[in-house]
Amino acid sequence: MRPPMGPPPGGPGGHGGRRRPPMEDFDESKFLEQSKDLLELRYIDDKNAVFKRTEGGFVSLDYTDKEGNVQHYDRVGVYRTFPMSNPDIFISIREPDEKAREIGVVKDLKEIAKETADILREQLDLRYFVPQVERIIDVKSEYGYAYFDVVTDFGNCRFAIHMSGGGVVHLTDTRIMITDIDGNRFEIKDVSKLSSAELKKIDLFL
Amino acid sequence: MKLKYRLPKDRQEMLGLRDNEEIKYCAPYDLAYENNKAEKGYIDDGYIVVTADTKNGGRLFVTKADKIVHEYELGKCDEVKCESLIDNGILTVKKDGKQYCLARFSMKHVARFAYIAKGADLIAKGKDREVVSTERDIYCDKCGRALPGTSKCPHCEGKGDTFNKFMQLCGPYKWRLLTISLFMIFSSFCSLFTPEIQQRFIDDSLRDASGTTADVLRFVFTMLGISVALIVVNVAKNWWCVTLGARISMDLRRKLYEKVQILSLSFMNKRKPGELINRITRDTSHIRQFMESVFGNIFSTVFTMVGALIVMISMDVMLTLASIMFIVVVIIMNRLWWKKIRRMFRMQRFKDDKVHSRLQDVISGMRVVKSFGKEREESQRFIALTGEFADVQKNNETFFAIFYPLLMFVMGLGMYFATYFGGTFVLDGIMTPGELMQFISYTGILYGPLQWMTNLPRSILQMVTSLERVYDVLDEIPEIGDNQTCIEKEIEGNIEIDNVTFGYKPYEPVLEGISLNVKKGEMIGLVGPSGAGKSTLINLIMRLYDVDEGAIRIDGTDIRQITQKSLHSQIGVVLQETFLFAGTILNNIKFAKSDATFEEVIRAAKAANAHDFIVKTPDGYNTYVGEHGHKLSGGERQRIAIARAILNDPKLLILDEATSALDTESEYMIQQALERLTEGRTTFAIAHRLSTLRNATRLVVIDAHKIAEVGTHNELMEKKGIYYGLVTAQLKMQGSMPIENPEDLLEKESEGDTTGQGDKE
Repeated sequence: MRPPMGPPPGGPGGHGGRRRPPMEDFDESKFLEQSKDLLELRYIDDKNAVFKRTEGGFVSLDYTDKEGNVQHYDRVGVYRTFPMSNPDIFISIREPDEKAREIGVVKDLKEIAKETADILREQLDLRYFVPQVERIIDVKSEYGYAYFDVVTDFGNCRFAIHMSGGGVVHLTDTRIMITDIDGNRFEIKDVSKLSSAELKKIDLFL
Repeated sequence: MKLKYRLPKDRQEMLGLRDNEEIKYCAPYDLAYENNKAEKGYIDDGYIVVTADTKNGGRLFVTKADKIVHEYELGKCDEVKCESLIDNGILTVKKDGKQYCLARFSMKHVARFAYIAKGADLIAKGKDREVVSTERDIYCDKCGRALPGTSKCPHCEGKGDTFNKFMQLCGPYKWRLLTISLFMIFSSFCSLFTPEIQQRFIDDSLRDASGTTADVLRFVFTMLGISVALIVVNVAKNWWCVTLGARISMDLRRKLYEKVQILSLSFMNKRKPGELINRITRDTSHIRQFMESVFGNIFSTVFTMVGALIVMISMDVMLTLASIMFIVVVIIMNRLWWKKIRRMFRMQRFKDDKVHSRLQDVISGMRVVKSFGKEREESQRFIALTGEFADVQKNNETFFAIFYPLLMFVMGLGMYFATYFGGTFVLDGIMTPGELMQFISYTGILYGPLQWMTNLPRSILQMVTSLERVYDVLDEIPEIGDNQTCIEKEIEGNIEIDNVTFGYKPYEPVLEGISLNVKKGEMIGLVGPSGAGKSTLINLIMRLYDVDEGAIRIDGTDIRQITQKSLHSQIGVVLQETFLFAGTILNNIKFAKSDATFEEVIRAAKAANAHDFIVKTPDGYNTYVGEHGHKLSGGERQRIAIARAILNDPKLLILDEATSALDTESEYMIQQALERLTEGRTTFAIAHRLSTLRNATRLVVIDAHKIAEVGTHNELMEKKGIYYGLVTAQLKMQGSMPIENPEDLLEKESEGDTTGQGDKE
């Protein structure tokens, strides 16, 4: 599909022009470029990108685009596109501001240099926080709330969920996500691996 | 929400506060973050402390156990921010152009640190303003339990609450209750007295055949009289109980419905609609059933049982003990199974809710399901759900079907014991046959209701669960409400938006520091990319949500000081999604003003360019729209919505994409009409099609949560800013393709069904 507009009147607008308004002067080529963005999937790999840890705990990026221009970002956002099903593939690298424009996509963390993958993994560990429930010590219901006492991969944790609302969601038949009243999410990767005593405690929610 | 936790003394000493320095904000954080890395672990002894210092501007500390991990002079920081990530948040500072991540916390603390970071940022920028949070904490301060949307903790302050609530419910019907109780006492008295008469008859008249026919007749008529009296009393009692149950459930249903109407949209957004419907219909009928079948018998049963027991003991203690010892067994059995029964019923309800929600979902989305040809998959999913529900139900019923006969058998054993021992007593001459009959009758009286009483936990539990669910909604305090100082106010139409900040979640502001003065009669066009906060701004003006900071004033009065009824009756709204109620077109238009005359309705419809198409429908204004009614097109629905909005002659008109689904001709017509209508009225209009806002007195461009530009069309065109860009883009594109809105192209988002996004070559 070709964007249905005439040929761009001017030359390429440069990288600053990718950003949306303020538009000093209306330039159709910018729109054209942005509309192209919608259809393009840019891959980032060891050849066109250099990621570095920053002093403040984030990650910076020097990205070389197709035309050979190098763009430096003090900080980039590292997002998962399939956080539940495929956490390690299609890692989206985005601008740090609110619009979070996509710079490119790392197709698979396993296909890039280990050092780079480690840097990105650190950022993913920071961005995502979904403790895995390993053991269920107790579930008690009182006054319309269920109080969970569990052991997660982050350690012991107690939390409360609404008995009524959709506090427990089935991702698959055996995988469930529990959302507590604060909005924290806890995952049970495989319900069938729980002991029968543990299952009994949560069978109300299954 | 608490922003200043008490910092333990030794931790405070560790900070080494200066003389003029005091702690402004302090809260614990809970996730480990070390050496610039998010660690896998919770921590429970870390604090983030913000201080203010009259001389030096204050500091920001992050502590962990007995160490200070980070310390920043706020005066030297460019920015302090709480960044909300996925299911967690981080606190960052910017210093010398570099951003540092200081601490990480779970969602439990994100909102709190959003406020605290804001407070710290204000100190860093040298502003002397303290941030306060009006949000309620969701945990009880004393016991740490979750608060069900109320300020009172059900555990610390509400023990026996459910019982109190039940009594409150019965309050208005106390005389009726008293009568029912009297009837109950009478009927138990009769039941207790009958065996006594039988005993006398057997021992005095039958045993030695000493009685006459008259004695037999007297006995028969006495028994008949008692039976008739019992029937009359019971019929009356049941009648009253049923009426009482119906009344109480009606009261609850009304209260619930009213409450649901009052509660703010944020409450509604949290719940599934199917679940709320269930609470209004099903839970209230459980309470009704309880009143009918259980409550009416509870006193008479207890009274009869106690009476029977007393008489039995007075006859023979040993025999009584022999016959009642199985009661203990039954009670123990019941106790053991109580938990199971409870869980089973919760489970059944849970699954039932799920089936309902799913049904609601699929039926509302039928068009999508069908257009993607997914009927089979959807039925399969539904079949699975109903299957689960049926399984649970089947298991529960099977359980009861096995459990109860067993229970009854165990209880029946007592009767055999009584007969055996009593029989030997009669043979030994300790007891007369009449007395044995009487005793066995009393055993029957004792055990009879016991069977019913084993059902009691189940019924009471069902009732209590239902009552809890109902009160869970009733006790919710509406976030937006009228207080006593609220006034009725005749609106003129001057609107002042004063430094308003708002977010659906407080830590994610949708609008920040919005200020705008609108004079009476002005038409304000709101322009900006999707998701910029245009609709949010009008939601705030309509007070569907309350602002987090700042104020919106109408004619100088804060809208929080105007009663909602008074405010809403003077605002006319046409929203993006036009919702019509099931009913006639006439009723839908009259929704805003139920006493409108036919002429008024027609005038409004004409102004909305709806009159013609309405008259062309077979039933005219009486055409039924809604689920099974006449199908209207998007444009027709929108025109009815416009008629509904202007019928009331509102002082303030809000048009949120009101004409987006209309063809150009209709829109032009309505524009003309609206131009006349909006005269003298303050109007806020949102439109992506900029031509719609041609008549606007001023245009407000909202971008990135803020007002980016304000001015007339000409002013903004001269300024050559965002608006200029949008207009030129629309004009240019209209030349080559039917995209009227460049945003659609940029944001990968389609709204309405008229915008063509595809190629047209």
